Amino acid sequence: MAYKARLRGFDDILQNDIIDIKKLKELAFNGIPDDQGKRAICWRLLLNYLPPERASWTAFLAQKRELYNHFIDEMIIIPGSQCSEGDHPLSLNPDSMWQTFFKDNEVLLQIDKDVRRLCPDISFFQQPTDFPCSQIVNSMDAKRLHRRVEFSVLKSANVERKGLGITKIALSLKKANEDYAPMAEGEEAHWEVVERILFLYAKLNPGQSYVQGMNEILGPIYYAFASDPDPNYREYAEADSFFCFTNLMSEIRDFFIKSLDETDCGINSMMSRLLVQLKNSDLDIWLKFQQLELRPQYYSFRWLTLLLSQEFPLPDVLRIWDSLFSDENRFDFLIYICCAMIIILRNQLLSGDFPSCLKLLQNFPPMDIQIILNKAVELSKQKV
Amino acid sequence: MAKKTYDLLFKLLLIGDSGVGKTCILFRFSDDAFTTTFISTIGIDFKIKTVELRGKKIKLQIWDTAGQERFHTITTSYYRGAMGIMLVYDITNEKSFENIIKWLRNIDEHANEDVEKMILGNKCDMEDKRAVSKERGEAVAREHGIRFMETSAKASINIDRAFNELAEAILDKTAGREPGDHVDRVTVDRRQQSSTTGSCCNK
Ligand SMILES: Nc1nc2c(ncn2[C@@H]2O[C@H](COP(=O)(O)OP(=O)(O)OP(=O)(O)O)[C@@H](O)[C@H]2O)c(=O)[nH]1
Ligand SMILES: [Mg+2]
Repeated sequence: MAYKARLRGFDDILQNDIIDIKKLKELAFNGIPDDQGKRAICWRLLLNYLPPERASWTAFLAQKRELYNHFIDEMIIIPGSQCSEGDHPLSLNPDSMWQTFFKDNEVLLQIDKDVRRLCPDISFFQQPTDFPCSQIVNSMDAKRLHRRVEFSVLKSANVERKGLGITKIALSLKKANEDYAPMAEGEEAHWEVVERILFLYAKLNPGQSYVQGMNEILGPIYYAFASDPDPNYREYAEADSFFCFTNLMSEIRDFFIKSLDETDCGINSMMSRLLVQLKNSDLDIWLKFQQLELRPQYYSFRWLTLLLSQEFPLPDVLRIWDSLFSDENRFDFLIYICCAMIIILRNQLLSGDFPSCLKLLQNFPPMDIQIILNKAVELSKQKV
Repeated sequence: MAKKTYDLLFKLLLIGDSGVGKTCILFRFSDDAFTTTFISTIGIDFKIKTVELRGKKIKLQIWDTAGQERFHTITTSYYRGAMGIMLVYDITNEKSFENIIKWLRNIDEHANEDVEKMILGNKCDMEDKRAVSKERGEAVAREHGIRFMETSAKASINIDRAFNELAEAILDKTAGREPGDHVDRVTVDRRQQSSTTGSCCNK
């Protein structure tokens, strides 16, 4: 009953010509219903992708999705496919397509390793998508990104530089990883889509490029969009999650940049904020951590950088992110959640030694996520 | 005070490029299992295993670090407290082998001088994809006077042996030293965080 009422609450807000984002946030903060693709549509709004004016959506989405296709055409190129005068794999010319190709492949190599390790506890990412990207999957594998790096895993960096016999090597490949076996021509798995999104993001944001963990930020967004029951939206999960991911990254990218570690928006300042919050909320634990010299970077670096996506099962992560994305002061609530997680383990932490405490924090025990969220809300109210 | 269930505590560190199999190695050692798909390590991870060597119970506190450059400021702060370091490369990945030199330099810069080191060439079950010969691995190790082994976390080859040998080497050195509370944690090298501010004492 309450659930139905909640669903209706969302419908009411989402049906307005101009969506009241503030109201939406209030409602979504307590969790977005799992069905009817509600989460996907709400996240598009909460991440400032879709504008509040419903009438503009059709044109807006069409334009964005076309732009995304354009990115694919522009950025996933195969050197040698377009005849460019004087370009060859040995070229030292910085404008050389081959040069770019080899540089890109270094980034791609890291992405490839990580997308294969994304959410291993569920099979979703190994499944084929209903909407493969046609120019990629019908390219006789030439444009499949993972094909580009398979040979460099196989062969040395020297070969990359010399660029000799690339096609030969690529052809003599064996299967890399059974679960992530390549799909047939015309098909592709969700992890390949995720790989492409991350690659395009890295290309378009050379200052950040790809940093490990970005896959864990994109994963839940893409999952929410690609499991939308509405095929009209699901078809564009790739493009839409690219833009939502980009928007989200614009808020948290500082966590991923080493040179910004010490700045106000960097990860170190987030960890200090957590520690201050802990000190205010539970001095005993804070003192205990001091005494054990259990520093926040041992456990909260990952919590904060990844918005908790590695700490909980995917459905819980989705639920946590409903609240995070609805947070008016984005990521204040993240601090409260992290602090709540620590306080909930109070008894064990106060009686434990260094290794047992750290183990507990790094492998957060399974529990009803609502308990943590309720505690976090309680902490956020105390503050006033 | 809880009674100590061990005689000695050794802190070990696993380093090496992303994807060489550090987490799998540690998982094989601590849980005797292997899964092909592991989430990538962000920051650092931590596991404990107690082994028995020469009649002594030795608690190994093992830190698994993230391989990517971005995490180096975080991870190098753990070097200082480490008594043993495993440098891992992937025998099917030439680059990861070439980078061993880089990782060794990191150790020189950040770890204790007398830290025990060992180089592991992992994934030796993948003979058909081998890119680095065993001889080359041995040569680099010899050149730097470091122990060397080829391992496979997947096929469980040499994993226990590697940790035991490293622990034994540390044991040889520390013979007679008592476990004290001061060794109960990794000492963070604060010089790292506030960049190089001249000399700083560390025990
Ligand atoms: N065949 C084979 N594959 C392995 C072995 N060890 C690891 N792998 C594979 O290599 C991949 C990467 O292993 P991880 O242990 O996650 O690598 P890592 O060094 O911890 O990487 P980062 O956490 O990114 O620094 C895994 O997905 C495994 O499938 C091995 O001994 N043999
Ligand atoms: Mg790892």
